[in-house]
Amino acid sequence: MKNVKSANYWQIDHKIKQIYEKRGTIILPSSEAWGKFKWVKKYFPNKPKEGYFIWVKKQVDFPLFVCVSIGAKKIQQSLENLLIVEKNLRISLQGTCDSLKKNLCGTHKAQGKIVLKEESSLKYNHLHFWDKKDAVELNYEFILEKNSKLDYTYKNLFTPKKLKINTLLTLFEGASCDIKIVVNGIQTKAEIKDTLVLREKGTSGIVKLRLVGREKSSISAYSQILAAAQSKGHLDCRGLLVDKDSKISLTPQLICQNKNAQLTHEASIGKISEDELNYLRMRGLTQNEALKLILTGFLGVK
Amino acid sequence: MKMLLTLKKLYAVGNGKKILKGVDFQMRPNEVQALLGPNASGKSTLAQVILGNPKYRIIKGGVFFEGKEITKLSPEKRVKLGIALTWQTPPAIKGVKLSQLLKKISKIKFESKKLDLKPQFLERELNLEFSGGEKKLSELLQILSLNPKLVIFDEIDSGLDIKRLKEVAKIIKKELVVRGVSILLITHSGVILRFLKPKITNVMLDGKIICKEKDYQKVLRTIKKYGYEKCKKCKLLAD
Repeated sequence: MKNVKSANYWQIDHKIKQIYEKRGTIILPSSEAWGKFKWVKKYFPNKPKEGYFIWVKKQVDFPLFVCVSIGAKKIQQSLENLLIVEKNLRISLQGTCDSLKKNLCGTHKAQGKIVLKEESSLKYNHLHFWDKKDAVELNYEFILEKNSKLDYTYKNLFTPKKLKINTLLTLFEGASCDIKIVVNGIQTKAEIKDTLVLREKGTSGIVKLRLVGREKSSISAYSQILAAAQSKGHLDCRGLLVDKDSKISLTPQLICQNKNAQLTHEASIGKISEDELNYLRMRGLTQNEALKLILTGFLGVK
Repeated sequence: MKMLLTLKKLYAVGNGKKILKGVDFQMRPNEVQALLGPNASGKSTLAQVILGNPKYRIIKGGVFFEGKEITKLSPEKRVKLGIALTWQTPPAIKGVKLSQLLKKISKIKFESKKLDLKPQFLERELNLEFSGGEKKLSELLQILSLNPKLVIFDEIDSGLDIKRLKEVAKIIKKELVVRGVSILLITHSGVILRFLKPKITNVMLDGKIICKEKDYQKVLRTIKKYGYEKCKKCKLLAD
C-alpha cells in the first residue's frame, strides 16, 4: 500500500496507517464521519469504533483501494464501513483484508453498507487472505438505487478457522447485480448466507457461488432470491469436495411474490474428476499441480 | 539397437475387469508402428497403461522404456522421460484455458499457427464444447509442445475429415517422424496408415496382440474383406 498512489484507506490492527484522498472523494475513519455528517447516522446508529467511510462525490479516473490487515497477536477488529457512490458515477474498488503473519489468532469482524445512488455503477473486488487460526465475520448490505449496477466478487482463497458471511442486497427499480462468492475452504468451518431482494420492477441479479471443501472443511451455504416485483434472478451454486473428510451443504431458495418475476437456480456438489486429474498428470503435471489447476479453473481464479 | 519401448507379458485390469491379457510388444527409436483392433479389444487401455494411468492396475508383466523398467513410475515421470499420448476422448476441464495448460506443460514453443489454430482457440476452456476435430488438434498441439521421444496417437483419425486428416498426418511427419520421434498409431479404421505408412502393423484382439505384419495394406485388406474374426485364423498370426 505504501507505494500505491491511489490507495485510499489502509488500516493495520486498530491503527490507520494511511488515508489518501483524491479530488472527488471523501475518506475518513467512520467514527469521524459519524460526527461530521448528520446523514451518516442513518447508516451508523451508534458511533462506530473503527472502520472506513468513503464518499465518492465525483467521477474519479482511478480505482479506490481499501486494505485492512491484522499484524499483531489476538487482535479483535470490529469495523463499521460505509461506501456511498453518488449518482451517475462509475467506480471501481479493490478491497483486501488479511492477516500479515501466521498464528496471530486474530478476529476480523466487519459490517459494511454500500449505497449506489441512481444510475451509478460499482465494480468491487473483495479479497480475503487469512490464516488457519483466524476468525472472520462479515455482514454486508448493498443498497442499489434506481438503475444502478453492481459487479461484486468476493474471493477467500486462504480461509480462516471460522468464516461467517452474511450478504444482503436490495435492488430498486431497474437496478442489476452480478455477484460471485468464491471460497476455497481449507480446514475451515464456513457459514455463508446471501439474500438478494428484487424489490422493484425491472431489477435483475445473478448470484454465483463457488465453494471448495478441503482438509476437514465444513461449509454450509444458504442462498436466497426474493422477487417482490417483475424481475429476473438466477442462482448458480456449485460445490467441489476434494477429500472425504470435508462436507458442503448448499441450500438455494427462490421466493416469488410477483407473477411476472422469473427466478431460476442450479446447484451441484461434486468431487474432483479422476479423469481430469489423470489427464493432466499424463501431460506432465504432478498430482498436486493438476489438482491446483482444476481448482483454479473451478474457482475462476487466474 | 536399444529398444525404445518394450512390453513384457503385460496383464492389466480396469474397473475389476481383465483387459490386457499378456501383451508383448517392442518398438525401436525412430519407428512408426500401428495398432489395429475392433472396439473393446484393449487398444486404448494399452495406451493408458503405457502412460501409467492409475485407473488401470498392472497385475503381471512390465513396461520398459529405453531399457529401464517404468512399470511403477507415475504418469508425470513417464511424460518427463519422453512418452506422450493423445487421448481419444479427452475430458473437458471447466475454467482452465488451453493456453494456461500449454504454459504449464510446454518444453518447447510450438506455434499453434502451424496447426491452423487461431489465437482465440487457445483462450477457450479445455475441451469444453470442442468439436471432434478441435479436440484432436488440441491434443496434437499439446503433445508437440511436450517435445516427446514417443507419441501414442489414440484414434487421431476419428472425427477428422480426409482433408484435415491429410494435414494432420503431414504435421506428424514433419514435426515428429522426420525428427526421429517414434509413433504408435492406434486406429480402428486404419485411414491414417495410408499417410504415415507404419513399419509394423499390430492387430489386437481380446487383450492380446495376435498379429505383427510389415505390410499394413495387407492387414487392412484382410480386415476390410473378412473383419477381425479372420485375424484369429490368419497365417500371419503372431506367436
